[in-house]
Amino acid sequence: MPYIKDKRPETMLLEGEWNVGAYKYKAPHLLEEFVQGLKEKKLIGSMCIGCGKVIIPPRNICGRCHQRMEGRITVSNWGTVVCFVTSPPVEKGKFQVFGIDPVESGLIQEGSVLIPTFVRFDGADANIVTELCNVDPKDVFIGMRVKAIWAEEPQGQLSDLVGVEPI
Amino acid sequence: MVKRVAIVGYAQSHHQYDMQKTREDMVFEVAKEALDNAGISRKDIDTVVTASTDFLDGRTISNVFLSMAVGAYMKDESKVEEDGASAALYALMRILSGSHEIALVEAHTQASTFNPHQVSFYTLDPLFDRQIGLLNSVSAAALQARMYMDANDVSEEHLAMVSVKNLMNAADNPNAHRRMPDLSVEEVLDSKLYYDPIRELTMSPISDGACALVLASEERAREITDFPVWIEGVGTCHDAYLRDRNLLRLDSLRKAAEDAYKMAGITDPFSELDVIEVSERFAHEELMIYEALGLCREGKGKVFIDKWVTQRDGELPVNPSGGALAADPVCATGLIRMVEAAKQIRGEADGHQIPGAYRALAHGQFGICAQKNIVYILGGE
Ligand SMILES: [Zn+2]
Repeated sequence: MPYIKDKRPETMLLEGEWNVGAYKYKAPHLLEEFVQGLKEKKLIGSMCIGCGKVIIPPRNICGRCHQRMEGRITVSNWGTVVCFVTSPPVEKGKFQVFGIDPVESGLIQEGSVLIPTFVRFDGADANIVTELCNVDPKDVFIGMRVKAIWAEEPQGQLSDLVGVEPI
Repeated sequence: MVKRVAIVGYAQSHHQYDMQKTREDMVFEVAKEALDNAGISRKDIDTVVTASTDFLDGRTISNVFLSMAVGAYMKDESKVEEDGASAALYALMRILSGSHEIALVEAHTQASTFNPHQVSFYTLDPLFDRQIGLLNSVSAAALQARMYMDANDVSEEHLAMVSVKNLMNAADNPNAHRRMPDLSVEEVLDSKLYYDPIRELTMSPISDGACALVLASEERAREITDFPVWIEGVGTCHDAYLRDRNLLRLDSLRKAAEDAYKMAGITDPFSELDVIEVSERFAHEELMIYEALGLCREGKGKVFIDKWVTQRDGELPVNPSGGALAADPVCATGLIRMVEAAKQIRGEADGHQIPGAYRALAHGQFGICAQKNIVYILGGE
C-alpha cells in the first residue's frame, strides 16, 4: 500500500518539558584566577611542571602526567590563527555571544559574518576559541598573526577578551 | 570463577555537602590516591571504567572532560550511567575476558550541584507519572515504607533505630558525611518530615563525593600486593518499573544475592559472612535488604534491629561505615560499599574495624525504590 500521508491518523502527543537550568558548577580558583588576569589584560595559563605544557584557559590537571598543573604563567597577547570558520550572515535574534545578541546590541551589523577562530597565543600549548575581528574573511589564512582585542574597561569577566585582530 | 580478580587499591573522598572542588579535582584526587594505594602508576592501567550520570554531572557525555582527571588520557575508557559498583562489574568482565590485566574504576557525584531528587523525577514515566506529578524518589520511598511497615508491623521507631545505628557508626568513619555520635531515636523522630514516614534522618543526605578502586588479574594482583581482596562472587539483577512490581520485596536484590552466593559457594550467608555494607538510601530499605539477602525470613528484618544483631558489635554487623544514610554521593555510593568491605578484610577500617573480618558482602543499587541491585562477595587470602 502506498504511503498516503493525509490518511494517517494523528498520534496523540503530550507536551513535555525538561527543565534543567539550575546547576551550580563548582569553579574554585581556576576561573577566578583567569578572569582576574583578564581584568589586567593578561592571559594566564596553567603550566605542568611535569611536561612543561601551558594550557589556556587554565586547567587544574595534566592528563598526560596525571598530576596537578601547579604553575601559572602569563602568555603573550600575540598569537597565531590555528584554524577558523566563516559564519553565515548573522541575523538578529538568532544567537548570542557571551549571553548577548551581537546584532541587537550594535556590536555587528545584521548580514555581516563572524569568524570563530582557534588562536594559539605565543607561549601556550592549547588554543583559545575567540572571534577574529576587523578583517575581510577573504584575507584570513591559517598561520595569520593576530593580537588580542581587549574591552575598553575590563570587568574581570570572560567577555573582557573581545577577540583578536590581525597585527 | 575460572580466573580470579582482586581489589588491589582503593580511595574515597571525605564526603560532604558542597565540597569546594571542581568535579575534576575531586575525581583526580581519588584516582591518584587509589593508584598510590596500590603502589602503581597511571601507565600500569589497561582500562578505565567510570560511573556517573549526565544529569547529575550537568553535562551530556559527561566523561568528555573527565578523562584527564581520572587518568584515562589515551587509554581504553568507558562510562556507565549508574552506580560505580556496576562500573566495577564491567571492569571485572574486561579483566576476565583476558583483554586487560589492570583496571581503574571510578565513580562520583557532586549532588550539591543539582538536587538528585529532582533528577530522579526525570526517570519517571513521562506519559503518566510525570504528567500527574505526585511521584519522586522520596514520595515513592514513603509509599514503599508505609506498605512495608503496614504488612510487617514495623514502627517508625524501627526505622529510627536503623538511622541511629548507622549514623553513630559513621562517627568513627572519617570519610562519612553525616557523623552523629550522640544521636537518639527521639532526635530521628523529631527530624524534619518530608513524606510520612520519611524524615531528614531516615533518608540519605545529599553528598558530594568520589571513590576509586583498582582491580587486577590474579597474576598481577600477587605482584602488586600481599593483601589482595578477591572478588569471590557477583550478581546483578534489574526489576520492573516501580508501578509494575511488588514494592513489598526487593526481588531483584534477592536474585542478585542468590547469584553472588552461588558463585562464591555460600549456602548460609548469615553464618558465612563476617560483615555487610549496603546502600540503604532510606532506613526502611535496610530492613528489606536483610530479608532480600536471605539473612532472615521475609518480614522479619526488624528483629535484627530489635535484637542488635547488625550493630557493630553484633553477630553480623551491617554498615559499620555508616552506609548510605551517612553519605550518599549517588553514583559513588555502591562503590564506596565495596571499598569499605575491602577495608574490613584488609583490617584497614581503623575506628570502625570489625575484628577478624574475612568475608564481606557489598551492595549497590540504582533507580527509584532500588529497582536495580548488585551484590559482591569479597574475601581475603
Ligand atoms: Zn604534564
